[in-house]
Amino acid sequence: MKGNGMLGEAEYYHDKVVMRLVQFSMLWAVLAMAVGLWLAAEFVWPTLDFGQFWLSFGRIRPVHTNGIIFGFGVSALMGTAFYSVQRTSHVPLFMPKLAWFCCYAWQVVVLLGGLSLLAGWTSTKEYAELEWPFDIAITVVWVAFAIVFFGTIATRRIRPIYISNWFYGALIIVIAMLHIVNNLEVPVTIDKSYSLYAGAQDAIVEWWYGHNAVGFLLTGGFLGMLYYFLPKHAGQPIWSYRLSVVSFWAFTYSYIWAGPHHLHYSAIPEWVQSLAMVMSLVLLAPSWATMVNGIMTVSKAWPKLKSDPALKFIVLSLAFYGLATFEGPMLAIRSVNAVSHFTDWTIGHVHSGALGWNAMVTYGTFYYLVPRLVGRELYSTRLANIHFVLALAGTLLYILAMWAAGISQGLLWLSVNTLGELSFSFREVMSSMKPYYALRLFAGAIFWSGTLMMTYNLWRTIKGANVLKVLIPPVPARWRINKSVAQPVGVEAQA
Amino acid sequence: MALFIFAGDLLVMLFMTVLVVWVSMRSSKELLDFSANIPLIEEDEHG
Repeated sequence: MKGNGMLGEAEYYHDKVVMRLVQFSMLWAVLAMAVGLWLAAEFVWPTLDFGQFWLSFGRIRPVHTNGIIFGFGVSALMGTAFYSVQRTSHVPLFMPKLAWFCCYAWQVVVLLGGLSLLAGWTSTKEYAELEWPFDIAITVVWVAFAIVFFGTIATRRIRPIYISNWFYGALIIVIAMLHIVNNLEVPVTIDKSYSLYAGAQDAIVEWWYGHNAVGFLLTGGFLGMLYYFLPKHAGQPIWSYRLSVVSFWAFTYSYIWAGPHHLHYSAIPEWVQSLAMVMSLVLLAPSWATMVNGIMTVSKAWPKLKSDPALKFIVLSLAFYGLATFEGPMLAIRSVNAVSHFTDWTIGHVHSGALGWNAMVTYGTFYYLVPRLVGRELYSTRLANIHFVLALAGTLLYILAMWAAGISQGLLWLSVNTLGELSFSFREVMSSMKPYYALRLFAGAIFWSGTLMMTYNLWRTIKGANVLKVLIPPVPARWRINKSVAQPVGVEAQA
Repeated sequence: MALFIFAGDLLVMLFMTVLVVWVSMRSSKELLDFSANIPLIEEDEHG
């Protein structure tokens, strides 16, 4: 097919690897959320570990967090990055076999890493618990991811680099930097290493990593997803492209300083704590600029919201993004942190972001993406609408339960009698938390059932179908990098 | 010393943000419009 006077041979986007990553992402969502449910149940019925070490809270909690962040989250980010970078560059993936390596090697790392955590291998660093063999494996896969992504950008035919690619690029570069620096360690045995850092320095490096993993993976990476799929789905360009560029750089400059707000009232220098607090408050500006940009983009497509569950998910994710990015800076204020730190308020905050923002924007994206990858309608729009209600209800109940529990804990622990003694013991406070924990378990079950429903819906959508082969369209001459190469247009079903 | 580092950090951030805003303002409207429409061009082409 060489119509329209175009030159060159037919080239197709590599979408099979995208579909496989979406499937893995949904698999990890179901599994890792199930582990989260088990954890929530252990708070209500503490004997649910049955005296087994591998079922204890300390072992399965990192399995839950690693499964969600690295299994569900990174698989979704890799898949959507591979999908959108091709389409915004008008070239096929650079080194597609390496993309397949990324896809499968990442799943092996997450699976074996999870098993190692159950076996008790841990570096004890939050969100970086995996021991040194996995740290090396993650680095290898991440470098491969970088080669595929930046190789595609480098060979692009379209001159401007679209804003979503800036966010995905920041995700790849910053996470590589954080992962390598935070995991500098001396291996002792196959399952044990010791960090190069000690004491307060170790804490600062760990939370520089921990908070920026939230920033550049769970925020920046998913903003890359949002900036491509929201305009695509709404059928409208981003409301202000200039605002998106400014907020990207403001986000990047300010986020990297915010980590030490996790260490308020600790042994680290006070100016580091103050700087982290100020930078956390500064972050409100780029975060809300992005939210306003997203809401204004979708404001021209309100009628679609009535009938399109995928767009509903994406718009709701923006609302939770706004909520979480307001709450985060507030919790970074030291006087607020005095109440919130070490309480379930933090858990509520994390889940308003993880369920309300990360999961919702991913669900909306997958509901949009999967039917297009196979050229079919979604199996059931009704099921997707029910899922939307379950996801909203589950998220709201979860964060309300944890807010109530966390604020109660913080105030009760700070309460002293006239002699200056603690009014309540730790045990007394914790034993009063059972109703909140039961509500959290119920909320998690609602959210998880919606995720199961979505997995079934997507599975029925793709059952028996092949991934479409999409021909790469031409680039307008004004914006083409290599003017001698252009591609024909069209979509063909794969043989 | 701590106050110097603190104030210096904030000034550097302010400078970088102003620099980015300035560079962004210099971009032509045509370039920004085309960039904003990149995801939609592909969709239009595919019908």
